[in-house]
Amino acid sequence: MSSTKRYWMDAADLRQDPEAIKAREAEFAQPLAIDQVLGDAQFNGASTGRRDFLKFLGFSVGAATLAACETPVIKSIPYVTKPEEITPGVANWYASTYYDGQDFASILVKTREGRPIHIKGNPRFGINRNPALTKGVVNARINSSVLSLYDGERLKGPRKNEFSDNASTSASVSWDDADKAIMDGLSAASTAGKRIVLLTGTVISPSTKSVIDGLKTRYAAVEHVQCDTISYSGLTNANLKSFGKRVFPSYDFANADVVVSVGADFLSSWGSTTEYTWQYASRRNPDGAMNKHFQVESRMSITGANADHRIPVKVSEQPLAVIALHDAIAKKSGGATIGGGLENEELAHAADALWGARGHSLVVCGSNDEGVQTVVNSINSMLGNYGSTIDLDNHTYFFQGDDAAMAQLVKDMNAGAVGALLMAGVNPAYSMPNAADFKNGLGKVGLTVSMSRYADETASLCQWMCPDNHFLESWGDFMPKVGQYALAQPVIGKLFKTRAWQGSLLKWSGSDVKWNDFIKQTWQANLAAHGDAMASFDNVWNQSLHDGVLVSHATPAMPVAFAGDLGAAGAAAKKAAAGAGEWELSLYTTEAVGDGQHANNPWLQEMPDPLTKITWDNYVCMSLADVRRLGLPDYLGEQSPAGLVTVKAGEAEVTLPVVPSPGQKPGTIAIALGYGRGANGEKVGKAAVVSDENGERKPVGQNAYALTSLMNGTVGYDAVNVSVSATGGTYPIAITQTHLTHMDRHSIVKETSLAVYKAGDKDAYNEAHALPVHEDVNADGVIDSRDKKPVAEFDLWEEHPVEGVGHRWGLSIDLNSCIGCGACITACNSENNIPVVGKDEVRRSREMHWLRLDRYYSSDTHWAEGRAAGESKISLYTKMEEPSERPTVSFMPVMCQHCNHAPCETVCPVAATTHSNEGLNQMAYNRCIGTRYCANNCPYKVRRFNWFNYVSEKFGEVNPAWDDLGRMVLNPDVVVRARGVIEKCSMCVQQIHAGKNAAKKAGTPVKDGSIETACSAACGTGAIVFGDLNDKKSMVRSLSEADRSYHMLDEIGVKPNVNYLVKVRNAEEAAHHHA
Amino acid sequence: MHAEAAIREPLILGHKTYADITNDIVGPIDNKAPRGWYILISIAALIAAYGTGCILYLISKGIGTWGLNKTVDWAWDITNFVWWVGIGHAGTLISAVLLLFRQKWRMAINRSAEAMTIFAVIMAATFPGIHMGRIWMAYWVFPLPNQFGSLWVNFNSPLLWDVFAISTYFSVSLVFWYIGLIPDFATIRDKVTRPVMKKVYGVLSFGWTGNAKAWTRFEEVSLVLAGIATPLVFSVHSVVSFDFATSVIPGWHTTIFPPYFVSGAVFSGFAMVQTLLLVMRKVMRLEAYITKKHIEYMNIVIIVTGSIVGVAYITELFISWYSGVEYESYAFINRATGPYFWAYWSMMTCNVISPQLFWFKKLRTNLGFTFFMSIVVNIGMWFERFVIIVTSLHRDYLPSSWTMFHPTWVDVGVFLGTIGIFFTLYLLFARFFPVLALNEVKSILKGSGESYKQQAAHHHH
Repeated sequence: MSSTKRYWMDAADLRQDPEAIKAREAEFAQPLAIDQVLGDAQFNGASTGRRDFLKFLGFSVGAATLAACETPVIKSIPYVTKPEEITPGVANWYASTYYDGQDFASILVKTREGRPIHIKGNPRFGINRNPALTKGVVNARINSSVLSLYDGERLKGPRKNEFSDNASTSASVSWDDADKAIMDGLSAASTAGKRIVLLTGTVISPSTKSVIDGLKTRYAAVEHVQCDTISYSGLTNANLKSFGKRVFPSYDFANADVVVSVGADFLSSWGSTTEYTWQYASRRNPDGAMNKHFQVESRMSITGANADHRIPVKVSEQPLAVIALHDAIAKKSGGATIGGGLENEELAHAADALWGARGHSLVVCGSNDEGVQTVVNSINSMLGNYGSTIDLDNHTYFFQGDDAAMAQLVKDMNAGAVGALLMAGVNPAYSMPNAADFKNGLGKVGLTVSMSRYADETASLCQWMCPDNHFLESWGDFMPKVGQYALAQPVIGKLFKTRAWQGSLLKWSGSDVKWNDFIKQTWQANLAAHGDAMASFDNVWNQSLHDGVLVSHATPAMPVAFAGDLGAAGAAAKKAAAGAGEWELSLYTTEAVGDGQHANNPWLQEMPDPLTKITWDNYVCMSLADVRRLGLPDYLGEQSPAGLVTVKAGEAEVTLPVVPSPGQKPGTIAIALGYGRGANGEKVGKAAVVSDENGERKPVGQNAYALTSLMNGTVGYDAVNVSVSATGGTYPIAITQTHLTHMDRHSIVKETSLAVYKAGDKDAYNEAHALPVHEDVNADGVIDSRDKKPVAEFDLWEEHPVEGVGHRWGLSIDLNSCIGCGACITACNSENNIPVVGKDEVRRSREMHWLRLDRYYSSDTHWAEGRAAGESKISLYTKMEEPSERPTVSFMPVMCQHCNHAPCETVCPVAATTHSNEGLNQMAYNRCIGTRYCANNCPYKVRRFNWFNYVSEKFGEVNPAWDDLGRMVLNPDVVVRARGVIEKCSMCVQQIHAGKNAAKKAGTPVKDGSIETACSAACGTGAIVFGDLNDKKSMVRSLSEADRSYHMLDEIGVKPNVNYLVKVRNAEEAAHHHA
Repeated sequence: MHAEAAIREPLILGHKTYADITNDIVGPIDNKAPRGWYILISIAALIAAYGTGCILYLISKGIGTWGLNKTVDWAWDITNFVWWVGIGHAGTLISAVLLLFRQKWRMAINRSAEAMTIFAVIMAATFPGIHMGRIWMAYWVFPLPNQFGSLWVNFNSPLLWDVFAISTYFSVSLVFWYIGLIPDFATIRDKVTRPVMKKVYGVLSFGWTGNAKAWTRFEEVSLVLAGIATPLVFSVHSVVSFDFATSVIPGWHTTIFPPYFVSGAVFSGFAMVQTLLLVMRKVMRLEAYITKKHIEYMNIVIIVTGSIVGVAYITELFISWYSGVEYESYAFINRATGPYFWAYWSMMTCNVISPQLFWFKKLRTNLGFTFFMSIVVNIGMWFERFVIIVTSLHRDYLPSSWTMFHPTWVDVGVFLGTIGIFFTLYLLFARFFPVLALNEVKSILKGSGESYKQQAAHHHH
């Protein structure tokens, strides 16, 4: 039965009211007020109902509120006329050269939209190039130097300083006025027959030498004095006496099977470190011919931390150790002995090793004493190392400074014999042992001109400040070694009214030639003199500029005969060791600030010292035993300040905090130079003087150069009799690693000895974690606890489909190649815009570094042995916290491990951190609400939280991102993170994308090695390798499959995309093995 | 009328009539507040204002004003959160679970216990909010439709489960509490004389008439809500414990956590009820309704839950040894002997040893001692959360990242502030709300009132 029922909607429907039917066709019963509102004419007359009013009100308040919540948008403005070579978003790389008197490197400078933002080693040319890896070595100081370009405290033009009895004024002047006055002053001094002295650091630039010759031609009695901030006069003088050449030789660590270093920190601060680093690392591969390295030293240096055998001796014992080595080898070679050497079995062992490898061994010594270095020369000569690992023919031009000439200069200045003093690249008022004499003498010189970039300790005492360019704004040429030439080119226009100091000298010599033209002319002349084909000099020049180096001419190295006076040298060496007191001091320079010229660089100040892990300070390194003997704090932390001591050496004294330093020989202390800049209020750069926790502006650390002294005619950095007394005060210390040992946790750092490794049993040194399963894995017919499967085969939940699909980015980190220099940390800072947070925040363990360098000292207590001996767990844990008095050291770079089962990803409530389909653990900053759950749940503790708005005035003192100038260093490819979000290593995802885009454009697959992360690019030793784990032919893949490869904390099953390679030491006794 | 065994102790002392009960409860609302109330609320409000200032400072400057660091990313914030949530457990347990078990003694305490729950949960909910780096984005934790494509919350995250658990718990508790208040508001409405108050309580009582049908529905709704609330008592703290239990951090990654947290929550909740009621019964002269027997019952709950908690602590230690996991083993040895040993032993003393004293009847019926113990237990339970959170985090897998946590004045200020806000709210409640469920108490007067029981006993003889 079909339904015939009909329903009416209402009475109008029943009636079929035409008006109602029409009305029903409209969507809304009544016309909407919005039409009226939008029609201008009736706007005022429109009636707004109560409900509409509330809707509008709600909408406007809501909209206004939401709009107010957004971070302000700052609009950028594009080029109006685009420079030809600049494509927005595409980086330009320029080859250039870094040289500051301490470090030398051929570099590549990355510029974006005309701003230099990053520095890495030149992979193709230069003495710092690692040929095996096509990577250039740069250290943290070099790759951070890009930041000093944007230091707002640089001098912005020439200034004239005037001094009266108790006040001084400084006024800006024009270059013309300054030039005229200085030329008049020089002429006057010249006429008066007084000495005109040009005081510089070591000049290795052929063109600069020509410029100086020009100055000598123009004025009478011009003298060029070179003075190195860290002097090597003892060594070069010894070479003069031993071989007739006052040079710093070329050393070849790559060719040395046995290396013995007595106090020379050649991987960090001694000699041509960028060169030695790759040479040394090339011999640390346990699969190749691994060298054997003995380090004899009083303080734990980076080099000592890498040694296979580290022999701790007192400062005064170092010269005697050299004598002992000498005599042991002399006995074998039949040479003359000195007698009175240090009796030490381990030294004898080292001497045996040296003799066994004669001709392929190397002895270096950090002493600046001529006698000691002469004995070292004799050792190397007996070993036949000249012409093999030491090259005097292709010697370097580094460290030509002469302490005697400098001492004479100060004497002459005080005697009023100096009419004019021009200074460039030096800061004697800060760095000389007798700075007071120098300052006093400066007042007696008729004309004083500083060409420093800053109104620093010396410049502020000079009459004229004629600021030099930053090296990235300058042209330059260099001759680091015989036959090696390098060029520097400006990568940005001058930011201020500065002038290359050579340009100033040219001007004052009366020449109108521009400095860059002058360099070009010099080379045109030089190359012609060498008889090179000069078909087109412009082509040669352009190619050289592009490469950063010029064609080189090397001469074969020849063996030389030692012609020194061994008896006198031995006596001098013993004299250096004589008079030892209760405390002995060695002064050193740190990996971070070097000799002090980088003290104003916040990246470097915040880079933790590779060993002590301290930032923003220098301090007294002291053995734990001595620290406890003096009753000083042996634990440093946020609320655990260090104890203060006053160290007196002769007249000079300095009060510094004491840092317990495992490996420091008891009875000795060590203090870093290069700190305490700007102590008298000089403007030496942004981060050299910062506010302390009470808001008082203070220099970072204390100047320890006062503790150096002239000994035997050279500057001595060792003092064998100093006094140390506790003041009773304490001092807050910003330390990033409060714990010293790895607590015998076997899956963090794995290490073994070469013998164990060579035996080939992987389980003996790199046992995989396995879990028992309920199946017959070993097929012995029984299911028992021996049926195990490796942890890697267990999955709690579904695997990310990244294995074998597309790319899977990963890093491999070789603990053997890592020397702990920390260049990766600053490179990462520069690439990823890591905020600098300052001492107070670091003290609160809030450093923002995405990549850190974990350092572990070994302990004498071991878990398995202790348990076997029946010791209680609690007692063992306590003892394992205590480092050995003679520890071995492990460095471990740790960044986000990009786990495929990332604990951070599952806990984020808003899915701000997720897994990419290329194996990356990625962070969406915009989505992050800052619960920090991910950071808690990260077993590697690599996540960093923006506790404050770091781009704010509070952090403006230290964070480059705050001021307009400093902001120029930021990488535009990486966002600056806001307050309240988590950040962490992205594996330089911006580089990955750039590399993928380039490959896509070229229509080829991504080539292994074409993409580098900042850390892997910065790692000149090849310890950090980046690549695609899914690319079966990639380097990173083969490394990840090597026997030495393991995952940190493998047993927790997070499946990282970062793997480590077991550290292997070339030591006889098996390194302690954790089963 | 439900007759009750004579040997059961009376729950309402003295001779009270229905009118007495009404007068005893409504009287303080109608009359001027005593001076003590003004003093107390001034102190509480001052602390609340200071705490609010600290919170505003925190929000304006950043989480860095707390003492957290790269290794310890949660400390007082989440400690306080869990502590307050735990305290918020007693109210619902008393009103829901005891209702289902027909425990008459709950009548005298459920109202204030549940008020405490509501306020404690509000305080608890503050912390997940303010501990966020970007609190202005807090609404992202809700699965709201949005314009970001398919962007959704992460349902794997225990923090998201927290959001659901806490908000559900809060809404159910609030509704349950308010439903119970309706007849009492009506009584107040009928009793008070001032027109404004009459109007306000009239609105609050939703036009309650008190007829039999209304009462039937009231009973039914109460039962249904009790049924809903009972699983919540167990689920909320279980979910809170998942924040830790599902993580990978040694000391957090523990399957025992859900029951351990729930009993700890009941333990601390009852302690807080004791703290509040002992003061309130004295100040508001409610000794006839909140008797020693009530206090004793609650102390028994404290012994039982305290003992469960103690067993849980010892089980954790056992498992850390038995599992043979070196990190786990270290985490627990470090708790007991490491730099935060004082926190661990404070926890052990306050939570495990001290409640055992309640086995002595003399002590568990001593009001002064009970008050002292209630404070001790609350301190202990705060330390429990601190120990779990901070000592596990500060030394986890990599010794390179080990740090200490040091609170700042802002940490302390925010915590004190929430105590201030809590007491301010509670004092306002005590002043303007019926502190006893007066209509429910009336229902047990004839059965459990002292004088009626005596009469009944007299009749039988």
